Amino acid sequence: MTGRVIVITSGKGGVGKTTTSANIGTALAKAGNKVVLIDTDIGLRNLDLLLGLENRIVYTIVDVVEERCKLRQALVKDKKNPNLSLLAAAQTRDKTSVNADQLKDICEQLKKKYDFILVDCPAGIEQGFQNAVAGASEAIVVTTPEMSAVRDADRIIGLLEAREEIESYKLLLNRVRPNLIESNDMMSVEDVVEILSAELIGVIPEDTGIITSTNKGEPIVNDDNALAGQAYRNVAKRIMGEDVPFLDLRQPKGIVDKIKNLFTKLKGKV
Amino acid sequence: MKDLFASLYNKVLSFFHQAENKDKESAKDVACNRLKLVLMQDRTNLSPAIMERMRNELIDLLSKYLELDRELLDLNLAQEDDQMALMLSIPVIRAKDEKEIEEILKAEDEKNEINNEESDEESESDSDENEENENSEDDESDDEEALEDEDTEDDEESEESENDSEEK
Repeated sequence: MTGRVIVITSGKGGVGKTTTSANIGTALAKAGNKVVLIDTDIGLRNLDLLLGLENRIVYTIVDVVEERCKLRQALVKDKKNPNLSLLAAAQTRDKTSVNADQLKDICEQLKKKYDFILVDCPAGIEQGFQNAVAGASEAIVVTTPEMSAVRDADRIIGLLEAREEIESYKLLLNRVRPNLIESNDMMSVEDVVEILSAELIGVIPEDTGIITSTNKGEPIVNDDNALAGQAYRNVAKRIMGEDVPFLDLRQPKGIVDKIKNLFTKLKGKV
Repeated sequence: MKDLFASLYNKVLSFFHQAENKDKESAKDVACNRLKLVLMQDRTNLSPAIMERMRNELIDLLSKYLELDRELLDLNLAQEDDQMALMLSIPVIRAKDEKEIEEILKAEDEKNEINNEESDEESESDSDENEENENSEDDESDDEEALEDEDTEDDEESEESENDSEEK
């Protein structure tokens, strides 16, 4: 078996790399794939929190590299889905604790036993980024329709293009707010795609459900009713090679719907 | 009477609606345009100072043949799909006539000769070119060609400015 190693990166922090990693990983595992998530954000680990696995972590990636444990010992199985495992980052160390060759080696080992290895990349373009990208042959660039995020995504795309081992990269547009796009206050999906001239793999709407799902340690893809969850499931399908049309994120416009929206907004504020 | 009021009401409404839309369009368009510019600089590593220098050198070069509006000359890098393009919009006041061009070229050659006294070969080839120019002045057919050139230059200019306005 040769698994696919996909790095999830963005340049800018706070655009949703970790949320994306957790959700795509969970969705791929739910679809029957064997998946490992690697958190390479050493010193600032969070992927364990989003998956609700923070209390189960015994060994981290640094322990593997420094040979305090075997690789399989450090893989933490997900509560619900035995197909999904996490290789956590160390919280008390920094990015220099692991180097690019070591990460590459870990990815090579995991490739033999798993279908997908998703590498959650730290923000920035320094050592942490270089390490995370080292073992990957595909990349997902996460960005939002904001100027700073798009600019950083452009920089990351430039760096990815310069790397021979990255065979393809796709764009995932996160936190899209259809009502702002409709009123021309926000760059549209088409605008961002045109500016970055990159292929799109997913459009995720801004969803308050993400906050509650993070709080519960339960990725939103597990919620069958959430639009963001649906969007992430579609991304997973596209990764698996299915041709899935992009969701229509525009909000319904009838009077009843408007009143409903008003109430949900009020509810959100209270 | 009712109809009159209704149409008036609609007009007022549409007026406000338009004004509102115009304001809102800009927020997204401003973002797009600012981003495109800044990304162009990021991608090329050409600083504004270097772009300005390139602009000035281009003006100097073109001024030998055309009378240009220096202030309005617009030079931008633009991205079209995977290709980068240098968008140049040049407002031409008028094309210079042959005599003017002759004089400028002559003056320039003389300048070059003074500057390049060390490298004799170069100054020789320069004077060769100069002779050729003088010869061509005698031929009427060349005059016609020159006129045609002027036309095409004007065409190019209008094309380029069209492209430019499309972008904006």
